[in-house]
Amino acid sequence: MTVNEIVDELRGARPRASDALRLQVMTIAARPAPRTRTFGERVRGRRRLALLVPAGAAVAMAAAVVIGVTRSGSTGPVVAAAPESTARSGATGEALVAPPTAADAATAQKAAPGPLTGRLQRYSAALSLEVEDNDALSDATQQALRIARDLGGYVVSVHYATGDQGSASLTLRVPTANAADAVTRLSGLGTILAQNVQIDDLQESLDTLDRREQQVRARIAALGAAIDRADDAAERARLEEQRAQARAELRALRASQAATAAEARNATVQLDLQTKQDSGGAVPGSGSRLDRALDKALAVLAWEGIVLLAVAIALAPLALAAAAVLATRRTRRRHEEDRLLATP
Amino acid sequence: MTLEQPLAVRPPRTLAEAAEAHLDDVLGYLLYLTRDRETAEDLASSTFEKALRLWNRFDPGRGSARTWLLGIARTTALDWFRAEARRRKREEAAALPERVEEAFAEGLSPALEAGLAALSAGEREVLALRVVLELDGDATARVLGISPTAVSTRLSRALKRLEERVNQG
Repeated sequence: MTVNEIVDELRGARPRASDALRLQVMTIAARPAPRTRTFGERVRGRRRLALLVPAGAAVAMAAAVVIGVTRSGSTGPVVAAAPESTARSGATGEALVAPPTAADAATAQKAAPGPLTGRLQRYSAALSLEVEDNDALSDATQQALRIARDLGGYVVSVHYATGDQGSASLTLRVPTANAADAVTRLSGLGTILAQNVQIDDLQESLDTLDRREQQVRARIAALGAAIDRADDAAERARLEEQRAQARAELRALRASQAATAAEARNATVQLDLQTKQDSGGAVPGSGSRLDRALDKALAVLAWEGIVLLAVAIALAPLALAAAAVLATRRTRRRHEEDRLLATP
Repeated sequence: MTLEQPLAVRPPRTLAEAAEAHLDDVLGYLLYLTRDRETAEDLASSTFEKALRLWNRFDPGRGSARTWLLGIARTTALDWFRAEARRRKREEAAALPERVEEAFAEGLSPALEAGLAALSAGEREVLALRVVLELDGDATARVLGISPTAVSTRLSRALKRLEERVNQG
């Protein structure tokens, strides 16, 4: 008997179910199924996983886009450290409290030193700030001018430039009494890169001028009395010349006093603004908002990727162990089945 | 007007349709596996009981109803083989009951019947699926949980052994 003959005979004698069995099975099959299929059951197992992966990716993308769009309009948080921030007193030799290398602008703002009350002082401050981009640079420049005017001051000079890296340089004069307030408010316009406050005491100079004025006045009075007493015309002429010199000195002293007082009346604040190195120097109003939104979205996506990678790394040993257990169980089950079916 | 596809082409809508179309296949497979008509009929009945509970999970996209039912039949049969093995173990002190050697499929010659009886259940299983039920290699592989290549190897070996047994006499 050949294999073909065997195959033909096997196929020819294909078993048929008895009528009794058919009736029994059809009775079972005609019963209603336990319950209808739910959506979860329809997309179960690997299919559900296959749906979850693109769904998760879509959610991650949407989150990145939403965050990117919603946060692209702000100038960015003012939280960077101020690497250089100093304050010193010149004439008094007294060290004033200066902001330490601040962790945030608020700390720097609170620590901005002010002039001492009751003494005449020359107050000068230099602030170097970084802003997000050219849009923020424009806003910060406008606000700086407004702050100067609000505090009773004025603008000495403004230099503003945009490009690959935008920058602005402003020289402001504000009443010395408002100088600390001005520094505080200006430092809030961006991230502080450097802050320098210098206070020179002018009171001693003014006191010296005052004492000298008293001396010159006394000398002028004495010369006047001597002139009245002088009999000799030559002597009178010499004394009058001395009195004229003393009066000239008095006028110079008064001018110096006025200049010193004027110097102390207004503080000079030098404000330097610059955009971030990586801001790309986008020109305001030429699509920079879109660039920022894309940058933010990419940053969010990068963070999501990092988190996903970290989770994958953390779960990898568990996944490997689970795979090993499953493989072992499968192999065991197959061996058991082979053993069961090995007997005739 | 709705054009009805024949059942051989479209997947069955109900288990009753599937049972009507594939009961003979399920019974034939179980008969070759167990070599006992009564047992095969019991297992066929159990198979459709299970199929009713699992009908919600049947996905025509992943395989035909016949393959799905044969997979359930195999699981049911393996449970039966396990129970038999435990029973034999318990009764191993006593003499094993003699198996009633009756013809399990009508129309087979005595030589072929004897040859099939000499094969292992695993060898009869692959003959039933590939030769008697004429499943293709992939469907058989899905039912048995092995690769199509392993199916071919197993079938070739089973046919060779059957030929030897039949020709030995």
